[in-house]
Amino acid sequence: MPVLETLAARRLVASPAALDAAQWSEGTLVLRVAADEALLIGGTEMELADEHAIVVAETGFKGAWLGREELVDRVVPHMEWPLPAARPVFVQGLIAGVPAKLWLAEDRSLLLCAAAYAHELADRLR
Amino acid sequence: MTAARRIVLDGQPLVYQPGDTVAVAVIRSGGHPAHGGTICLAGDCANCLAEVDGVAYVRTCQTAARPGLVVRRHPTASAPPLRDAQQTDMANRPPGRYVPVLRTEADLVVIGGGDSGAAATESGERAGRKVTLLDAQAGIEVVAIYAGPTVIARTAEGMAHIHAREIIVATGAAELQAVCPGNTLAGLVTRRAAQELHARGVDLGVTVAIGSAPQGVPCTSLAGSLRRIEGEGRVSAVITTDAEGRAESSTPCDTLVLGLGHSPRDALARMSDDLPVSVVGPAAAAHALPAAPRSGVVCPCMGIDVEDLADVWQRGFHDLELVKRASLAGTGTCQGSVCLPHVRAFIAERSGQTPEPFTARPASRQITLAEAAAGFHPDPFRRTALHDEHVALGARMDRFGGWWRPWHYGDHIAEYWAVREGVSLGDVSTLGKLVVSGPDAVEFLERLYPMNVADIRVGRSRYALLLNERGHLIDDGMVVRQAETRFVLTFTSAGAGHAEMWARDWAETWRMRVHVLDRTMSLGAINVTGPLAGRLLERVGLPTLPRFLEHVEADICGVPCHVMRLSFTGEVSFELHHAVDRSIELWRALMAEGRDLGISPHGLQALQGLRLEKGHVIVGMDSELDSTPRRLGMEWAVRMDKPEFVGRPALERTAQLAENRRLVGLTMPGRAPLEGSPIWSEEQIVGHVSSSFASPLLGQAVMLGWLKRLPLPQSIEVDGRAASLSQPPFYDPEGSRARA
Repeated sequence: MPVLETLAARRLVASPAALDAAQWSEGTLVLRVAADEALLIGGTEMELADEHAIVVAETGFKGAWLGREELVDRVVPHMEWPLPAARPVFVQGLIAGVPAKLWLAEDRSLLLCAAAYAHELADRLR
Repeated sequence: MTAARRIVLDGQPLVYQPGDTVAVAVIRSGGHPAHGGTICLAGDCANCLAEVDGVAYVRTCQTAARPGLVVRRHPTASAPPLRDAQQTDMANRPPGRYVPVLRTEADLVVIGGGDSGAAATESGERAGRKVTLLDAQAGIEVVAIYAGPTVIARTAEGMAHIHAREIIVATGAAELQAVCPGNTLAGLVTRRAAQELHARGVDLGVTVAIGSAPQGVPCTSLAGSLRRIEGEGRVSAVITTDAEGRAESSTPCDTLVLGLGHSPRDALARMSDDLPVSVVGPAAAAHALPAAPRSGVVCPCMGIDVEDLADVWQRGFHDLELVKRASLAGTGTCQGSVCLPHVRAFIAERSGQTPEPFTARPASRQITLAEAAAGFHPDPFRRTALHDEHVALGARMDRFGGWWRPWHYGDHIAEYWAVREGVSLGDVSTLGKLVVSGPDAVEFLERLYPMNVADIRVGRSRYALLLNERGHLIDDGMVVRQAETRFVLTFTSAGAGHAEMWARDWAETWRMRVHVLDRTMSLGAINVTGPLAGRLLERVGLPTLPRFLEHVEADICGVPCHVMRLSFTGEVSFELHHAVDRSIELWRALMAEGRDLGISPHGLQALQGLRLEKGHVIVGMDSELDSTPRRLGMEWAVRMDKPEFVGRPALERTAQLAENRRLVGLTMPGRAPLEGSPIWSEEQIVGHVSSSFASPLLGQAVMLGWLKRLPLPQSIEVDGRAASLSQPPFYDPEGSRARA
């Protein structure tokens, strides 16, 4: 199992409409964790029409990039919910009983969770 | 040359033949896998259980022999030892076997691969259904059916959890065993077992058969009824009676074959009421019950004999379920497979009515705890970024409020004095931390909290209670104003998750233009506390200390921090909130910079005493589910002159009622009583202690406790000693030390 490492990210809370219309610089991976919240990995610029938005640097998540086989062999057996067929797609739920998130692309996936849970997730996926 | 195939039985090598199970190999050698009792070789009974490769209660008749397998027979008079039971390290997972779970779905699951199972499978497939056949003979042994329905099976690869639309149980029938004196001897086999042993070339010696004789096995069939079995450890003779039950005759033998009939192997069906489960074949057949037992062991698993059943019956337990519970017959590892027909016959003879079989519950077969727990994940407990630092410092870690936290670092009294007299660090990363921002932020918080918010100046903070609609305390913390329309709210470690939902729900309900961001797990927090705390912070990046309840942004030891000055310990305290990936760097730097000041960390045990001396409540420990500010003596934290806040109508209403309980402060000489101790007055319990601590500084025990008799009684006792009511804070009531 790859080591879960701290993700340098930004966290953003804004109105859902503003998030829907936001523009992100190239290379930004936008994980929409809630209607009013996004986790941004990579990228530096954004256009957001919400003057009261909360934007903070975020180091409270840890993650690991997985190949397709690692996902199927190491992670999926610990999930009680089916993965959607669409790609790319972002999903959230319990993995091995730990609150976690998955961003699934065609050829790779990002598994992430709050840093406070990372030891449990890594231990349970070992 | 071919190496001999050997297993290790009770420390001695034992040669086996190809295709042998462990049980067959042991019987081939003239022994018995479990010291005695009828052998069925079908997995139905518990008479061949042994410890195999460290796992107890393994059915050796279902375990293939292989080179090097280590088999230990269970003790004759006690349970096998629990080898991992001495593991007591709460902070580490006990050693165990990982058993994976394979999850699948099926339209139709057929359990059992015999004739009826094969027919059900074929029929299902002909109807175009997706059929999954689970056959114990093929290594897939079903042990449970749960609602869903979900079929749980043990396989060589792990546990299979199969979600099925329909289930057909085709598990066949088990052979009846004999109940009579001597039925726990070795040398007794069922008819099918005799046939299998003979087919495998096992020498059964002089063999006699009762009932239906085994096919192809040389033996003498005995007429009449089985009366008793004689022998020393192993059968040497069978005593039968004639058709009238009078004349006894003794037949010497080495092996007794029992062809006494069958009982349905239907436990899986009996554990699945109201589910789409049907039973076919011999498992559904109406097999005749055996004759009511007269003497001998009925339930070999639990060692229950006919006298035990008679005793239970005499005590008035006549229903089968009650007989089971009162006698424990049927509660052992075979779950009634052996004894159920005999117990039913016992009851039928006495009551005149044949009872239905008792309810079956998972697991129908012996499984290990690891197999039972496969796929189950206990609630995860979070770790702060400083977890490993605490462990390295010798902390005893324990679980509080969903987090692993240091309870102490070896000497909680020394940790206490470090706070009271010097400087100490506490890891308070677990505190809830919520950012609220937006044009309606002030109005939102005014409605959410019972104290004033609008007059908190930017750069200041205020203690706040969080009440529910009934005016009961659900959490507490600080309201910290960062800008005109931006606040940081803190909550208790255990209450943070609920507080976030609470705040979000009300923001939605009131349609407030605010954003809420939970930063609990994103920010670490270190509490620098003690009379020397200010001196330390002046050295490391805070030349001008904020005043009490002020907060500033500053780089401390090069780490950007939001520094909040407040106090839970009663001493000068600064909470340093910072990005969680910088926690270790900050902690180590503070420890290094404070070395000459005698800095040391403190754990929760010391903290609980420190705050108790100050009379600070811990929500959930000192508060109850219906604690109002009045009952807590915290009306000072509520502004009833505010027009609206959550809980206000309830507080207004209940203020008219007579007060009937109150959280009070108590002191007494000597040691601290146990938390939860009753408070006595005039030989009646009038309350209980919620927190207690033997104060090193005050030289007495200080307590918070609930008194549920008002007016307050004049004399009270705790732990058999006189205690005194005392208004908290017990220490520094003016608060001068925290404000210094």
